[in-house]
Amino acid sequence: MEPLSSYVILTSAMLGIGIYGLVSKRNAIRLLFSVELIVNAANINFIAFARYSNPPILNGWVVVFYSIAAAAMEAAVGLALILVAFRLNGTIDVRKLNRLRG
Amino acid sequence: MADVVFLALSGLIIASAILALEARELIYGAIWLAISLMGVAGVFILLGAEYVAMFQVAVYVGAVVVLIMFTIMLVHRESGRIVDEEGPGRLGRAGAFVAGLVALTVAVATILLTPVSPAAPEFYRVALPELGRLLASSYSIALVILGLLIGATVIGALTLAKVEREGEPDGTVE
Repeated sequence: MEPLSSYVILTSAMLGIGIYGLVSKRNAIRLLFSVELIVNAANINFIAFARYSNPPILNGWVVVFYSIAAAAMEAAVGLALILVAFRLNGTIDVRKLNRLRG
Repeated sequence: MADVVFLALSGLIIASAILALEARELIYGAIWLAISLMGVAGVFILLGAEYVAMFQVAVYVGAVVVLIMFTIMLVHRESGRIVDEEGPGRLGRAGAFVAGLVALTVAVATILLTPVSPAAPEFYRVALPELGRLLASSYSIALVILGLLIGATVIGALTLAKVEREGEPDGTVE
């Protein structure tokens, strides 16, 4: 069994990739990819820390259930917003979506 | 044995996450994202959380990635061209890479400097009834709030994405 730190290092790498994507990408859908990666890194952390508690506790699982549900809702609303932005502006480049009116 | 599986899963997750962000076609990026999320489900199984892994595959790979793919197809069809993915230039890309690398370095250094890394308890078999009891007792308020939130979100997303046409009773002209 690996030490707990190996899981945390894996999730740090996922967090780093997500931050890179959030900073460097211009396509709104790719920003959504980055957010999903960061949320998944947090989920792995919850499960790993719950597993390595002594005795193992289930509270981490519950948090991850709620987190997955919240992430699914966030994706639904985000994609609807992207569709509306595309319909209004003809682009999903976030650098060009800088006017605060329709 | 578990070490090999863990290393393979980590490599799969990280490689496909990078490919998801860097793939030229957005739709291939979505497929790489699905593979990465499947790898996360594998890590959950490795940690003894098969039920969460099942939930992860059903919700993320089954719903979120499919939703993303449909959106990509809609956006493609309406534009008639591939959504252009012009980067912010070499400087911005390098800056983003450095930002990610600094975050990673700080995180890894902190993890390695933390003195205690507890060993996992040996025997670990989760009883699902226990999980259900937890959801229905300690976290029941959160569960109700989550249900309300899901309802509100679905209504909000449908309202946002609805196409309003001329001639409909409450439709406004676009």
